[in-house]
Amino acid sequence: MNTKTISNSSSLTCTKLTLLTVLAVLIQITGLSVFIMGFFPVKPTLSGISGLESFYPPGFDPTDLSQNVSTLPPDKLKSFYQELSGVPPVFDRLVLMVIDGLPAEFVLGRDGMHPRKEFVEAMPYTQSLLAKGLAIGYHAKAAPPTVTMPRLKAMVSGAIGGFLDVAFNFNTQAFLDDNLIVQFFRFGWKMVMLGDETWLKLFPTMFTRCDGVSSFFVKDTIQVDYNVSRHLADELKSTDWDLLILHYLGLDHVGHNGGRNSNLMTPKLMEMDEVIKMIHSSTIQTQEVKQRGTLLLVVSDHGMTESGNHGGSSYEETDSLALFISPGTFNYTSETNNKAFQVDIAATLALLFGVPIPKNNVGTLMAEVFTSLTDEQQLRILELNSWQLLRLLQAQFPELECGRFSCEPGSVGHDDAEMFCCLYLDAAALFESWKSKSSSRSVGGDDYRSIVLAYQNFLRSASKWLSGRATDKPIGLLACGIAAMLLSCSILVGLLFVYGRDSPLGGIQHLSHKENMKKGHLDEIFILAVIFILILSMGSSSMVEEEQYIWHFMTASLYLILLRKTLQSSTPGRLLHAQNVNSKQKRSCSRIYSIVAVLTSGRILRGWHQGGVNWAHLPDISKFLEQAGSAPIKSLQLISILLVISISLTSILWPFWKSRFVMLFTVIFLFPGWLVLQDILNYQDSIFASASSDAIATTMAQNIYALLSIFTVGTLFAIPWFMPLKNSKTSRLCCFSIDISPQIQSEPLLWGFRDSIYVIGWCCVFSWCLLQLLLQQPINSMPVLLLLVQILASIWYFSDGDPHTRQWVEVAALYYVGMAGHFGLGNTNTLATIDVAGAFIGVSSHSTFISGILMFIITYASPMLALLSMLIYVSAKDMSAFVDTQNEMNFGHLLKMCVGYPCLVPLGLNSIFLVAYTIVLLLMRNHLFVWSVFSPKYLYVCATTACIYIGTLFVALATTYTCMAFATRRMWKGFFWKG
Amino acid sequence: MEEKKKKQQSINPLETKNDPVLCISPAKVLVLHLICGLGLASGFWAAHYFYSINLVSNPAETLRLIWIVEASVVILLYSLFRLNPDKCSYSRAVVGALLGLPAGAIVNALGAIVLGAPVGLQHFRKTVHWSLLMSVFTLVPAASVFGSSWTDWHRIFAQTKPIGPVDYMICLPAHGAVIGAWFGAWPMPLDWERSWQYGTSQLWQSIVRSASRISNTNQSWGRSEELS
Repeated sequence: MNTKTISNSSSLTCTKLTLLTVLAVLIQITGLSVFIMGFFPVKPTLSGISGLESFYPPGFDPTDLSQNVSTLPPDKLKSFYQELSGVPPVFDRLVLMVIDGLPAEFVLGRDGMHPRKEFVEAMPYTQSLLAKGLAIGYHAKAAPPTVTMPRLKAMVSGAIGGFLDVAFNFNTQAFLDDNLIVQFFRFGWKMVMLGDETWLKLFPTMFTRCDGVSSFFVKDTIQVDYNVSRHLADELKSTDWDLLILHYLGLDHVGHNGGRNSNLMTPKLMEMDEVIKMIHSSTIQTQEVKQRGTLLLVVSDHGMTESGNHGGSSYEETDSLALFISPGTFNYTSETNNKAFQVDIAATLALLFGVPIPKNNVGTLMAEVFTSLTDEQQLRILELNSWQLLRLLQAQFPELECGRFSCEPGSVGHDDAEMFCCLYLDAAALFESWKSKSSSRSVGGDDYRSIVLAYQNFLRSASKWLSGRATDKPIGLLACGIAAMLLSCSILVGLLFVYGRDSPLGGIQHLSHKENMKKGHLDEIFILAVIFILILSMGSSSMVEEEQYIWHFMTASLYLILLRKTLQSSTPGRLLHAQNVNSKQKRSCSRIYSIVAVLTSGRILRGWHQGGVNWAHLPDISKFLEQAGSAPIKSLQLISILLVISISLTSILWPFWKSRFVMLFTVIFLFPGWLVLQDILNYQDSIFASASSDAIATTMAQNIYALLSIFTVGTLFAIPWFMPLKNSKTSRLCCFSIDISPQIQSEPLLWGFRDSIYVIGWCCVFSWCLLQLLLQQPINSMPVLLLLVQILASIWYFSDGDPHTRQWVEVAALYYVGMAGHFGLGNTNTLATIDVAGAFIGVSSHSTFISGILMFIITYASPMLALLSMLIYVSAKDMSAFVDTQNEMNFGHLLKMCVGYPCLVPLGLNSIFLVAYTIVLLLMRNHLFVWSVFSPKYLYVCATTACIYIGTLFVALATTYTCMAFATRRMWKGFFWKG
Repeated sequence: MEEKKKKQQSINPLETKNDPVLCISPAKVLVLHLICGLGLASGFWAAHYFYSINLVSNPAETLRLIWIVEASVVILLYSLFRLNPDKCSYSRAVVGALLGLPAGAIVNALGAIVLGAPVGLQHFRKTVHWSLLMSVFTLVPAASVFGSSWTDWHRIFAQTKPIGPVDYMICLPAHGAVIGAWFGAWPMPLDWERSWQYGTSQLWQSIVRSASRISNTNQSWGRSEELS
């Protein structure tokens, strides 16, 4: 930056502006992190691992015994625990079969109804088990976020993790909290794990044998399950293991690829049924060998939506399965409508196998599974479960001492703590008196039932409170975060005002007279109104779920207003120069066409994906195409790629038609384009792709990544130095600019600067579009083209420096187009619509970081495209207005004028939305939907903020670099050009 | 809004063009709008009593009935105020308005579709009748009065600079209808548990659009009466 020659007339120099903006952004980042730390806390948990004390009531201090216990060998420990608990294990061995993403509805039906016919027919063995009473099935409601890792943690530990667990889904690390696997390990169990390698990441050292498969090739639905089943026959024959974990990923992959109604779903269910049959028949055979037999527990970690996604909290996603299959029979009339929570699995398994219940468990036991125990034993396990929950409650209420409450039957509990104490004491007292009169009690009598009822009262209310409790939010932290964000927001908005005062009109000023100034207001008012409307709409959960409507509607309205404005100025009487009538009218016509193009593309984009949450099932273009089969999608994809390539090539070659760059640009643009085309033609079509073609496709994608980045970076660094500085008489960039002021014609450096930015901008936009065409789902390739058309048409419309339209309005319009396009690509405010499958294209080894970046690229395709196009936008503006009148080649001033609005407006708008939404989230912290609607939306808002930072940083850096290059060139060759 | 327009008018006093300001008394305007309002009301009444349909149960049929009634009233009345009664006969103005009706319907339908109205065969009839009704409110009066005078159209619709009572008589209801329709098309994700909220969001939007258009039109009529 050429800061030496910055004029003093302006109150806001380039350096000052940059520093203040960077400062504001830094404050914003700090505030945001502080707020997130405060709002999504890691819940206070009990540390350590349950041991001896879990067989004693709370308050008992077993330190003297635990010394001995820790030195006991595993089998001694087992018998010691068994002696203490007084309940023998119901089973010896456990086969835990996890079917990833299987909704319980497929097996048990919904609302007491039978499951759908094809699913019943697909799982004949499982259905017969249920009918015979050999199995008990539960709808085990999973807690959001419904993604694999937090759900596995919930199943083995019984604890509901914090919301941010979802962020670590792809970054699994060893699970250190108390959990069943650790407890089994201490018992000396031999454990075998086959399936999803998430287990290996959670428990790296626990398994005797394991074969992890990766959930990595989402398109693969066959091999991933074959890799699990291939060991099954051997493992079932061997008797050395006590716990066998099978985690089948195929069904989840089927869902991700084709939704619930995929053709592959029925065969996959049949395959699972075969596995269940195989395991169950082998457990019956080995029952004589082992004493008590093997329990087969079939669970799913989460369900799936109609389209096969998961992550949110709808019934379809949280409806996971827990199916207990015994070699013998449960003394229980099987129902298919049992309801439980996923966290209950941990407590149930712990009590079934006689291990201590994990410390942070919030689940309650599933009583139907224990019907083979005697009454006293059943009461004992209820008691054990109650002691554990009471201990957890004591961690929440530090001064919880049940003795000090009176608990008169008439008195109403004043707070939760007292209520829990009373419920517990009530149950405990009943149990004590029942034990004391052991002689007179009858089997299954009223006494017994009232004790069970009392215990279940306590367990249910405590479990509900513990799993749904409002976590303490440190108000100080939250206030600090919001204050910092408010500060940075006001800095940014203040900067915008000061900047706007310095340069009241971004465009040409020779047309400005009073009347025109007055006329230009409707669009500005509307832009501001949109901000308020959006902020207001964020307060309603339905509006957050259906946010796409408001963006599409507002963007379309904005462009209709601009259309009206164009019509206003199109009358012959308005024109100032009579000789220009013809060209003006042509210009005005082309502007109308460009707006019509924006509106049409916007309407098609809106219709492409229905979007949202509640009305996602309504028909839209993408569903229509998917029903029509793969051929139309494929042809649309090809058309989009060819059009994107030809539009880009035409635009880049137009101004350079006779220069030596033609060949270079053609190669740069055509070669990666051709590669992407090849990739789509050959490798993207089949779900049933073989491993070898997968490998080729991965290499291909990697090559494309490398090429695109090399070309983009190469162009970015080289172009400013090699752009020819012709004193051109021919109208360069004639496609974008008609009115070329004499000043800019006479200034080759400015021309070169402008051309460089234009080329760099196009290169980035083109690379970004190609990348999207490669990564997005095939159905989304047309929207990418439409987005490009929208943005180009907008830039075309804005390029002629209309005196009525202020520059900030134009940048804001581009930003809105980008945000509307974000929803047009099928994104919503739930985590379920993130395209996970695309994030693994071209990744050959599992890397959280790279997959995360790809996911970000796919999700934020549209806003980022809008930001990158700011470079083209800058180059398409008439730069003569940017030149400092006193010092013609003041690059600092030029830079400030170029990127001031394109950087400040997105940052300012985003900071307003960020602050507003943060406050909304804080106000809604007790709302029913805070975890399912508002928090995911907040994650999106944070990610949008990151996207804006990256985009504006890139635009600013690219422009600054070009500016510096030209400043240097001027210093070198200064005296050639001065003449 | 009116004040702003008045101001504009005073800042830009009558442009130096042929000024077709007809002398028209406030009473006449009042009667005209009263009859238009009665036409609208009678459309609803006829729909309710003769066919027992309404906007919620049978949107397309009700809209058709209303636009037919309202169009006949509007065309016949506004043609009385045609710009050049000497050059242009009454019947010619009526024919012009009849030609303007489908043209205006196309413009309105395109606007509605751009703002999100559904496209598809099952929605086609609703869209057609709705846009014809909108055309009756927006473009048909102008077509009756101005014929094909481009400068007048431009003055009213692109620049919103009405001069004189006749201009206001056309301009305000038209803009009121458009603004009302725009507010009616506002995205409203309700909970849909009531019968009146029934239907797809787009259908609901079109219903609200018609309802609030009517109220807004009435409001703007009120305004124009005050002005004139």
